[in-house]
Amino acid sequence: MIASKIRQILIGKRAGSVTLKYPFEPRPSEPGYRGRVTVDTDKCVGCGGCADVCPARCILITDVSPFIRIIRRYLDRCIHCGRCEEVCAYDALHLDGEYELATTDRKDLFIEQKLFMGTCNRCGRCYIPPTPLDRLMVVGFRKDEDLDGETI
Amino acid sequence: MVQQLTTDTILGRLSESIPVIASQSPTPHRLYIEVPKDRVKEACRILFEDLQGRYTITVGTDRRPVNGKFEVLHFFSFDRDNIRMAVRVFLDPDDLTLESITPVIPGAGWAEREIQDLVGIRVIGHPDPRPLALPDGFPEGLYPLRKDYPYNYQPPLDEGKTFPFKEPPPDATVVTVGPFFPVLEEPSQWRLFVDGEIVVGCDYRGFYNHRAIEKLGDSVLTYNQIVFLAERICGICGCVHSTSYCQAVEEAAGIEVPLRARVIRSLILELERVHSHLLWLGLACHIVGFDYGFMQSWRIREPVMWLAEYLTGSRKHFSINLVGGVRRDIVPDQFDRILSVADDVDRQTNELVKAIQDDTALIARLKGVGIFTPEEVRLSGAVGPTARGSGVAIDARRDHPYAAYDLLQFEVVTHDGCDTLARTLVRIGEIFESLKMIRQCVNLLKDIPVGDLLGEIPEEIPPLKDGMHAVEAPRGEVFHYVLTGYENRPYRWRVRAPSYQNIQSVPMMFKEGTYLADVPITLGSVDPCFSCTERMEVVDQGRSQSYTLEEKDLLRLSRSKYRALKATERK
Amino acid sequence: MKEGFIRKFHSKAFGRSLWVFHTNVGACNGCDIEVLDVLTPFFDVERFGIKLVGSPRHADVLLVTGPVTRPMVEPLKRLYEAVPSPKLVVAIGACAVGGCVWFDTYNVIGGVDKVIPVDIYIPGCPPKPEAIIYGVALALGLVPKKVGPAIESHEIPMEVEDILKELTPSRPVALPVNPDGKNDNGKQDGEGA
Repeated sequence: MIASKIRQILIGKRAGSVTLKYPFEPRPSEPGYRGRVTVDTDKCVGCGGCADVCPARCILITDVSPFIRIIRRYLDRCIHCGRCEEVCAYDALHLDGEYELATTDRKDLFIEQKLFMGTCNRCGRCYIPPTPLDRLMVVGFRKDEDLDGETI
Repeated sequence: MVQQLTTDTILGRLSESIPVIASQSPTPHRLYIEVPKDRVKEACRILFEDLQGRYTITVGTDRRPVNGKFEVLHFFSFDRDNIRMAVRVFLDPDDLTLESITPVIPGAGWAEREIQDLVGIRVIGHPDPRPLALPDGFPEGLYPLRKDYPYNYQPPLDEGKTFPFKEPPPDATVVTVGPFFPVLEEPSQWRLFVDGEIVVGCDYRGFYNHRAIEKLGDSVLTYNQIVFLAERICGICGCVHSTSYCQAVEEAAGIEVPLRARVIRSLILELERVHSHLLWLGLACHIVGFDYGFMQSWRIREPVMWLAEYLTGSRKHFSINLVGGVRRDIVPDQFDRILSVADDVDRQTNELVKAIQDDTALIARLKGVGIFTPEEVRLSGAVGPTARGSGVAIDARRDHPYAAYDLLQFEVVTHDGCDTLARTLVRIGEIFESLKMIRQCVNLLKDIPVGDLLGEIPEEIPPLKDGMHAVEAPRGEVFHYVLTGYENRPYRWRVRAPSYQNIQSVPMMFKEGTYLADVPITLGSVDPCFSCTERMEVVDQGRSQSYTLEEKDLLRLSRSKYRALKATERK
Repeated sequence: MKEGFIRKFHSKAFGRSLWVFHTNVGACNGCDIEVLDVLTPFFDVERFGIKLVGSPRHADVLLVTGPVTRPMVEPLKRLYEAVPSPKLVVAIGACAVGGCVWFDTYNVIGGVDKVIPVDIYIPGCPPKPEAIIYGVALALGLVPKKVGPAIESHEIPMEVEDILKELTPSRPVALPVNPDGKNDNGKQDGEGA
């Protein structure tokens, strides 16, 4: 019993103080950590590939008229899986490894993008998904239930 | 020597006494047989008792849009012979009743209650037909897993309805554990019947965490989206769910996964097991009031989490799987860090285990507590360290090899103690085995040429094909069944987590003479959710008084026992 | 202005002794484990006086994880009432903030703020322990907020806008919806993508 306690003390002594200085010193995430989703709106062509693959269904697309498409990204329920980055053919979406996302207002986690575009009448989108499994056998996109912005 | 079983011998044995309507064996390791409705119980009895199969799960499917019928599948597993099989029965929508198999196989209790709740198939002769999965007051006649139920319809709940709890034995005090202010983990409610400090029985109400995952899977999300949904079933062992789901789809669709992807899957799974077991070791120490163990084992665990973040891009929910393979490669630059973390964890865990294994007070808290015999393991269908701590050597990694486990050398750690201490030692042994496998995986990766990480995927996954696959999770065997469907999504997806069987076995562990102070660690020893230990309500019926025990009181009870043991130690 | 006052008040009232009660209303455990993780040696929030307590009556802060399943709605409301004022509610993880993958299923409410008011949102699935510490530090006013809403529009040529004004009804038209929640704008074969 006593030998065991002495051993336990030695383990603690050897490990020493390991506590990190965060938040007083910045602590970068590991390389490859996914983190926050950022959108480069200049590169985005509005193809909707990300909306098709998003498991959390947080990227929703509405065509309000033949020329205007609204892409809303409800990043409050984003699960940071990085699928949108993977399928984006135009390099517009990135997960930048930022994790300090805490906020006092849920609206801060919302990205809306209004695109002036023409939609392909044939299939409703304009990109080739990476694997056949990602090619939806159904056309069109999930309906954005909150278009009036009541619950953002 | 027991006779070696094959799918043919199983089928032959069943055909002797039961008219088998149809049978199908896509591979030598899989068997589906269809039997008449009135002979299901008999068939299951033969498989369970005569052939010593292990009961896995029951699945109810609404197949009306396809063939106008309902379907029930009872799954069995023959671990020695690497065979998994299903007994299939079709039910007419006009007569939705089925004879219960729970009297023969106690472990089927929950699964049958669940199909009663969610699919609306009435199970006749069930010893405990109370509701299970749905919230209290859910309207009768609405069954969420039927195809005509929209996934997002929330019917009004009847607030007057409460859960019909079991009547306690006369003179017993009822101690309610949970669910209202759960602190640590998932909410669940246990009602313990106590006589003084001795537990004489218990009752369970869970499924506060029911998030409609299976319904989402077969109505809204597509094959590749479900991988990430599956991962979020459990926050500690998410990768096992996604791997198991991917393997089930791959089996149904006949997708071949490249070797490199399989090795990466194994590596990540073992990494997950290391962090999960260290986490459990810490929490178990915390429960018995030995916070030193909690802090030290979580300190050792932290570098494992950083390594996971480095390799996969997230600390938990690695999101590394896709149907057909994996998303990220592990490159040679990363090998050094994997090996050095493995060595560090190995050395430090070894030191810690050596230091605490002579701590007689700690051992006394674990030894002889929560006895679980091998026969009870078989009846309840318990899996994983819970079963292996009772000397039942079932391990999906060895018995039904998947990913790259056929290329790895490892031992299945078992212990004959049948108590909490045995289950602890099994988990500690598995940490070292996992570290060994991580090193082997790195060596394998060095030899395998860099190449595709995704297998060849057919243009369309054929509809109505069955696939089932299991993965050995840190807590036991995770089982996924997928029936492929139309429009790029499964028709039916069924998940059985290991705790589903293990929690059912907890009542069996409360043997005569169990002390209230031993309840938290017994519950903890199967590694379910600890939320239950957080808040208790004691209703002493004898004195018709009610008072509330909170987490710290319960821990105080638990800890004062620890101190008393320490005191005896000194004498 | 108001927010500044509340924050000042919080930091003054709570100082260096935040007592925290942690509850799970249907989470997958990922966030719960990360919350426990911040108590362990590497992060050790007890150095800020933050302590996990076993009863809501002792708590200043309520940490909520999970998307709020339907059976947990009432318990959560009661729990909120049990915490003495002034109180802070922190929603941790994608589930508690916005409902995660299951935000609209038949047994999930989808977000803690649909049941009780929330002061701090910490997104992430699960958030790193550092992110949780950052969130608490934000609540105490120790660190600045880093994120903000983004609404961006392509410039639309004037003449098109005029045409659109005539074409577009005042309220956007939602296309008819299939039971699986998808717009139904035509059929085509799988390879057409």
